[in-house]
Amino acid sequence: MLAGVTFAYASTPVVQDVCLHVAPGTFAVLLGASGGGKSTLLKLIGGSLRPQRGQIHLAGRDMTALPPERRNIGTVFQSYALFPHLDARANVSFGLEMRRLPRAEITARVEAMLDRVALPGEVRGRKPGELSGGQQQRVALARALVIEPDLLLLDEPLANLDRQLRDQVREELRTGTTTLMVTHDPDDALALADQVGILDAGRLVQVGSPRDIYEQPCNATVARLLGEVNLLPGGVLVRPERVRLVAGDTTVSHVFFRGSRALVRVGSILAEVEARLAPAVGERVGVEIPEGARWTMPGEQT
Amino acid sequence: MKTLPAWAMLVLFVAGPLALMARVSLYEPGRGRGFYTPATWTLENYGVLVGDAVVPGIVAFTVGGALAMTALTLALAYPLALWVQGLPAQQRPLALGLIVLPKLCNVLAVLFGLRLLLPRGLTGVLMAEVYLLVPYAVVMIVAGLGRIDPVFQEAARGLGATPWLVWWRVTGPLSLPGVWAAMQLTLVWALAALLGPLLFGDPEHSTLAVEIQRQATEYHRWPRAAALAVVLLALLTVPMALVPRGREAA
Repeated sequence: MLAGVTFAYASTPVVQDVCLHVAPGTFAVLLGASGGGKSTLLKLIGGSLRPQRGQIHLAGRDMTALPPERRNIGTVFQSYALFPHLDARANVSFGLEMRRLPRAEITARVEAMLDRVALPGEVRGRKPGELSGGQQQRVALARALVIEPDLLLLDEPLANLDRQLRDQVREELRTGTTTLMVTHDPDDALALADQVGILDAGRLVQVGSPRDIYEQPCNATVARLLGEVNLLPGGVLVRPERVRLVAGDTTVSHVFFRGSRALVRVGSILAEVEARLAPAVGERVGVEIPEGARWTMPGEQT
Repeated sequence: MKTLPAWAMLVLFVAGPLALMARVSLYEPGRGRGFYTPATWTLENYGVLVGDAVVPGIVAFTVGGALAMTALTLALAYPLALWVQGLPAQQRPLALGLIVLPKLCNVLAVLFGLRLLLPRGLTGVLMAEVYLLVPYAVVMIVAGLGRIDPVFQEAARGLGATPWLVWWRVTGPLSLPGVWAAMQLTLVWALAALLGPLLFGDPEHSTLAVEIQRQATEYHRWPRAAALAVVLLALLTVPMALVPRGREAA
């Protein structure tokens, strides 16, 4: 749990008054654009930075002043940060060796954890440089989980994987351990999170379930972070998939084909339709916005 | 004007002089009529390596002294490099600058100054040479430490390692390639040590470099000086040929 955490480099605030509670056993995602303070927030929780103000509690303990090695937090870094001089097994056993567990127990727990993340036996003796991106990610996850952390931090853990692998690996990140993930990818956030927090310029601007945040964003910045938007006068948001194409007299100016769906620009309005039903560029159509599809954003009222 | 191709530079300034030196080492000595006897071929100049009363000892001292200088240099340079790397980024150039500062002063001026401070004999020889070598070693080790992504330290701390354990298990092993490179370079310089032994040493502390300049400029025995120079060059190739370590980790 974070309470009023503030951090500034020199006099530039990077994280401002952030309060967040992650319920035990749940998966929370902080979503924000690059430079929004996500990495700094992770460093504050991990302990490599100290907040100037505010407190950080974990599992009922105030750990604002604790050094990183006494926090029992597992982290998967964006680059994975696997130790290049140690093989996969030694990377995973590192945290257990620091806890001075008996050798036999370490070996057993490392193998069990590598089984759990499904790392093939024949690559467990390889150095990180000889592992594929997906395998490195599994080792990084195993290394963070094997210490049975009170909190698992994930720093853009899917950013370095190609699309196909991402969809496959994504579910494996839901481990049952209390997790806080930061990402700039709305797909990852919406697919994984029990709770999404939107971080913008160092401030937590909205927290809620993925559905609530998607459908009822508090302002245009939040709305745009989660997907394509139509912004109508008066701070009204309409998601493109809620727009219906009907007969009419407006020219289709662009069609963005996306496989099963297509985005169609009609005048100033963006509509998302089933791809095989999409009109061609130049065709004349009309748009209809159902009453229930309009959401008036409270943060855009002047 | 067309620039000289790189291979031509190599021939003109490296291969050519080396070939000349090798040739001189195979002449018979001058025997009072010049520095050497032209149009002769002999291996007797290399015979001093085994048959001479002094030269084998000089070779042994050159190698042993270089190993000692290298060990002392690294032992001093490594903690200094760690200290520099631990400073805030904006203070590092200043700290490195202070360490390299003595190098901006002429080496002879520095060593004549050191003669007032350091004892004569073996201790003086080692201290003077280490004094000259430490700045280079620090710069190279700092460069190696700088290539280590700080995220590894962050990861190790997060996994429960105290700062000392982070060094022992992560930073230390990852700094070895830089230490290895510093070791190679230091060894090359130390094997060619001239001024320390010349200014601080007793006769028994002569290195090959000292003996070469003595043969060439005092006794005017060019063939023997050239032969010893070939031997020194052969010695220098040993540390240079050592395979860089830790490349596969990078």
